[in-house]
This record gives sequence, C-alpha cells and structure tokens, in this order.
Amino acid sequence: MNLKPKGDRTSPVIILAALFFGTVPWAFCAGKIVTVDYRIFPGLAEMDGNWAALKVAHDGKVYAGLACHGCDGHMVMYDPATDRVTDIGGLTRLAGESHLRIGPQSKIHAKFGEGTDGRIYFGTHAGLWFNYARVGTKEGYPGAHWMAYDPKTGKVEDFGIGPRYEGINTGAYDPKFNRIYGLTHPRGHFVYYDVASGKSVDKGRINNWESICRTLGIDDEGNVYGNFGAGQIYKYDPRADEIVELPLHIPIRQKGVSLGRDYNKSETHWRTVVWDSQEKKFYGIDESASLLFSFDPRAGAQGEVKRLGQLCVEGMNDRREIPYATLTLALGRDRKLYYAPPAKEFDYAGSQGVGVSHLIVYDLETGTSQDRGEIRLPDGRRVIGLNSADTAPDGTIYFVGAIEVRDAPGEESKPAGKIGDVPYRLALIIYHPKPR
Amino acid sequence: MKHRTLFCCVFLLLAVALAKGQRTPDYDNVVVPQNRIDARDLGYPPLDVIPKGESAITALTVAPNGNLYGATSGKRSHLFVLNPRHGYVQPLGFLPGTTAVTNALAVSASGEVYIGSAPGGHLLKYTPRREDEQPLRVKDPCEVTDLGQPVKGESILALAIDRRVGVIYGLTFPNAHFFKFAIAAGTGTDLGVVARRAPEGEKFETTKMVSRMLALDLKGNVYASGEDGFLFKFDQERGVLGKLPVQAPAIPGREPWTRVDAFLVDPSGLIFGGTSDGYLFRFDPEKMTINNLGKPLLQYRITGLARAPNGKFYGVGGDEDDMARLFSYDPETAAYEILGFVDVNRRPYYTWQAHVIQAMATGLDGTIYIGESERISRLYLFYPW
Repeated sequence: MNLKPKGDRTSPVIILAALFFGTVPWAFCAGKIVTVDYRIFPGLAEMDGNWAALKVAHDGKVYAGLACHGCDGHMVMYDPATDRVTDIGGLTRLAGESHLRIGPQSKIHAKFGEGTDGRIYFGTHAGLWFNYARVGTKEGYPGAHWMAYDPKTGKVEDFGIGPRYEGINTGAYDPKFNRIYGLTHPRGHFVYYDVASGKSVDKGRINNWESICRTLGIDDEGNVYGNFGAGQIYKYDPRADEIVELPLHIPIRQKGVSLGRDYNKSETHWRTVVWDSQEKKFYGIDESASLLFSFDPRAGAQGEVKRLGQLCVEGMNDRREIPYATLTLALGRDRKLYYAPPAKEFDYAGSQGVGVSHLIVYDLETGTSQDRGEIRLPDGRRVIGLNSADTAPDGTIYFVGAIEVRDAPGEESKPAGKIGDVPYRLALIIYHPKPR
Repeated sequence: MKHRTLFCCVFLLLAVALAKGQRTPDYDNVVVPQNRIDARDLGYPPLDVIPKGESAITALTVAPNGNLYGATSGKRSHLFVLNPRHGYVQPLGFLPGTTAVTNALAVSASGEVYIGSAPGGHLLKYTPRREDEQPLRVKDPCEVTDLGQPVKGESILALAIDRRVGVIYGLTFPNAHFFKFAIAAGTGTDLGVVARRAPEGEKFETTKMVSRMLALDLKGNVYASGEDGFLFKFDQERGVLGKLPVQAPAIPGREPWTRVDAFLVDPSGLIFGGTSDGYLFRFDPEKMTINNLGKPLLQYRITGLARAPNGKFYGVGGDEDDMARLFSYDPETAAYEILGFVDVNRRPYYTWQAHVIQAMATGLDGTIYIGESERISRLYLFYPW
C-alpha cells in the first residue's frame, strides 16, 4: 500500500449530484475532494464502530479501539514503519472474561494515553445496554477494566474492574499524575485509576446518562476539565482531589428538538477538545452546531472561553440540521486544526442516511477555516463518517471511521453493517497535510 | 387530493423527525410514567442550592403541619424544608459537625425537628420560625440546639418519635445501641444493643447488622432489626428492649447479613418492612408473625417505603452501585406493580434520573417524596393517584 502523501486534488464538478440534491449545502463545495490513504483492519470486519479511541504514540505507532456491539471489541496497532496492522487482542479475552458469557468488553470508547513508561493506558466499555435492564445482573456487563498495553512486551496488563456494572464512556490519561480518568455510563460518575497506587476512585456523579460529556481535557499541569449542565466547565484538580465548577460556558446553540437527532445526543457539551501545548490552551467543538472555541484555563482568575467560528461542511453554517459533531478534532504540527464532519447525521449503523465526510482545516495563525472537500479513498469510495483523530510526530493526521465497502481485488469485502443502503467497514484513514 | 397527500407526507416526516429528538417510547416504558413524577432542585439553582457532594438525601420526614423536612449527607449535612403550598425546597443551612443524617430525622407534635447526627452522634433540635420569611441558607449553618450525645462515642443511625409522649428513640452505629431521649426532661437513656458482633465474613467486613430504620407501632412500641436479622422490640409499657422470636425474611443461611432497610407502619397496626436482600414482609406485632411477601425486584435492598392514600405501598429498591426502581404493592390484592426507574424527563428544561435512593415519605396530601442520594441529588415528587 502506498504511504506517500496524496495531498488534495480537485475533481470535475459533481453537477449531477448537486442538481439531484437541489440546493443542499454541500453543493457549495461540490467538486472538492480530499483523497486519503487508508488501511483496513484485517480479520476484523465485524467491528462496527470507533469513538475517540485513537492515539499516535511518540514512536509513530498508531493505536485504535474498535467496537463491536454484541461481541468483543479489539485493540489494534498500526505501525507505519512496517505498514502492518496488528490485532493486539479482543478486550473480553484481555479482561479474562471470555468464558463467563456475560456482557462483553465491546469497546474502548475513550481516548488512549501514553505514559512516561511508554505504555498505552485506557479503559473499556460495554456495547449494548438493553435500556439498562441488565445493569447489576449476573448476565449483564461486569464493569470497565483499566488496562495498559506495553509495546516493549506486546502484553496488556489488566488492572481490574473499576466502576462496577458501568463502562468508561469518556476517558483520558494523564502522564503527569499517571492516572486514567473516566466518565462512566450509564451513571455519569467521574472516576479515575491511579496507576502507581493501584487505587480506583469514584468522585461521584457529574452528568445524566443522556448527556455525558464526551471528552475530558487534560492540561499540562494534570488538571482535568469537562462539561456539565448547559456547557459549563468543571475542573478536577488532582492536587486537591476536588471537582470545582468554573464560571465558564462554552458556546452552545439554544437547545431544541433537532431534526432526527437521537435523544442522547444532548447538544449541551463540548464534543471534543484538544490541548495545545504551545499556546497552553484547549481548542474544542461543541456538540450541537460544531462551534469552534478556545478555552484558556490560565487566563484571568478562572480561565477564558472564546468563540472562534464554526467547523462544518461549507454552506451548512448556522443551519439547524447541521450534523452532530464528531470526535475528530486534531491539532496538526503545522498549527492547523483538522476536523472531519459528516455531511449527514453520522453514527455508524445509526446514521441518518449516507453522507461523505469532509475535511475542514482551521488555521490558528490566520483564524480562517477552509472546507477542503469530501474525503474519498484513492479508488473514489466514500469515507462516510469518522469519529476519532490524532496527529503523528511527523504531522500525519490519522482518523478512524466508516468507509464504503465494495468488492475490490485483494481486499476483504465483508462489511460490518450498513449505513443506509451502503455496506461499510472500519478503516484507519491517513492524511498527510502539505508541508508548510 | 395530490396536495393533501403531499401535506400528509410532509407532516409525517416532520412528526417523525420531531419525535426523534425526544426520548423513544421504549425507554419511557422502563421509567416511571412521566405524568406521575416531577423533581425539585434542593434550592434555587444555579447558585442557591445545596452544593454537589453535600446533597445526598438520606432522611425525609413529614411534620404534623404537612411540611416535609429532609436532611442530606456528604462533606456536610444540610437541613431543608418543603412547604407543599409553595412546592419548592428551601435549604435551612448546614448542620455543624455533621456529615451524615441517615433516617434520623423526627418532628415532634409541636413541630420541632430532631436530627440525629453522624459522626458526632449528637441529637440536634431545630425550631422552625417563620421559615417563609427566611432567606435560603446554603452557606450558613442551620440554627440548631445541641441536645448532647445520647450514647457517647456512637453515631446516630436512625430515629423515631412518639409524638404523644414526647419521646425520641434512636439506634446507633457502629455498636448498635438502642436509646431513648425524653424531650421534656432532656435526658437520654441507653437501653441496650441489638447486635453484639459482626457476622462472619471477609476480613474487611466488620459492620454489625442493624436495621437502617426504626418502626413505632400504634401503641408506642419500637422495633428494630439486629443480629442475625432478628427483630427487637422496645416495650414502652415495660421499658424493656428485647429480642423477638422472629427474623426478617432471608434465603436460609443469609440471615446473618440481613437487615431491615425500611419500615412502614400501617394504620391497621401491621408493620411492613423491606430487607437488604430486597424482600418485602409483613409483621404482625400482636400475633408475632412475619410473612414474606416476596421480592418485587431483582435488585438488592428496599431503601424506602411509603403508604399512599389509596392504601397501596410504594417502595424503591436498588443498591448504591445500581439503578433504583420504584414499585407498588397492593395489600388488598397482594399484587406488585413495577413502575420502573425514577426518572424525570422535562426536556428542554431539565432531565435527571435517580440511581440511588435512600429515603421516602408520604405527604399529608398523599404526595410521595423520594430522596435521591448521590453527589448531585434532587427531591422527587411521585403522585400515586
């Protein structure tokens, strides 16, 4: 497979599509296409989703968590040096629960983190919840495991179950304090695992099940930030072991009954944030209208939030039906933010129709954004939706999400399921920004 | 006709789209019907509410005038009142030196509120004075009188009051003392213990098993559960605490770890209770019999019981790492109804589901109050009619 940068190219205008859809917003950027490289996950066609779980380690190796509803999720690694994808293992097996025939470890649903010891830390999650009818039952999900993958040994260490009966819905790892943080589902508790002491701590409830903040941001001092209520920011200070509510709100759109949006897509929090170690601030996107903001935790007495714009498919700005934000924000080495929104409400098999992901680039130096167009594979197939992103030391931007499946020579054509009528499977998407 | 069809199609599409933004019926089917439940913040949000981490409701009781009093546990305990005519929760201040008040709240015939504190084990008295005219007290202490420690070195776990004679009864933790406190005299008496040793268990299991509530029958006798799940009775005529020959229901072998979570005294004189294993039972103090009424939920514990004016009992089950469910029991038909998760969905205004519940009480008008017990907690109002 070719790993050379493909860059952007503009294809002939898709007039027919634009005419077909009428004055749909994406007609504004019709014709622009971003061609990306990709890798499928061999033997793991059944994996049907990925949310947040993508990390590029300091050595360039890429780790992803692949979800499977009703079965084992898997942790995989892609080594760009050898161009190989390795299945590190099924999560239920790694948790020692394969023979129990209970609710499986179906996901890594949160961000990985890399420790100063080089290990990759994470927490696991359930896939199916059955309207919580099985919570606390013997056949139900036993609870999330805290784990670490050691690249030196190729082994995963299981630290055991943290929150009982609940999964790590949201998570982040802090190398400074050597802790894995999480927000649990369904009870919305703020929890952490202190690796050095082996202590699992529950700081209590912070969100309701239908509005659990989807990303925890950690600054370079080890403070942890999240959202509650109507976009308000809280801070967990590991020195005081306390959660403090800050008088800061991110920009969010007035809540309403959105068009076709699932109930548990709450529209009240940030969807994702990334830490900028250069400027010492976060950049984030709200769930509802993909509003881009910065959050400087050190400005003033309590920090400062600034609205910077809106990262969405060109022509969709300020429209009510803008799709729910994705977890794909990444800060490039070129001081640009990369973000991949879908053209239609996207959540894998729960998507509202078939759209194509776009690549939006926001230049932090100029404060301008650009829709670079539809993300497509070299053979023209659509990237239907993406839900995680990270930046490699060499500047490569990686995403994981759903690609269209077609019979292609030498490629597994087995799909994970369908989005609309289109068969899809998961793939690692590789984008090489142009050198500055 | 064409236009009409087109209109219908557009309407249907819109209806489906709009409905999607709200919760799906399959989840509504697993929660309490939404026209029978509402919730109240513990104060006036966002600023004047009992703080998170201090708001877990662990005691509720209704005063003779119908006001609901509640107490919380956490970093600090707070006292609050809800006047049903107003319908909102009024925080009355934090309780000095107190981090937990667990079913240890009682109101006298004259309306004075007695609070059993933990960990200090002090009996506190709050005297309501023109509460309607008082500001919400969240950051200030509640004005209470310290009546001392009925049992030195022990926390107060539960209280009950005999309003007719002005006597408060209490149970302590960790050593399971039963005491009485004569209000007029201001004196406390330690009447003995209901559990002498912790049941056999793992090394980390050191808790003596006593009931989390006390029951006062129509004659003024008081009941608790103690060691091996046996009921204990304080005979108010004889002034003696004694072990009864009846045990709270349990799977054979589990008696040592069984405790009564909640009691409810029926106007008939029968006493109903819920156990730590989630069984509902009926205790006839005259015949000295216990009937196991079964287990309404799959879950452990029955953490609250309340009687509605229609004669039905309402209860909540579920442990601290669980998701609480509400059920009803009809003594007439011996039938249970599982009402589901305790959840209020008033999008776009507020939405919250209670996972842990530790207290219930029935208002004079029949409203059933349900106290959530988490880092962030609300008071729920369930309408049984």
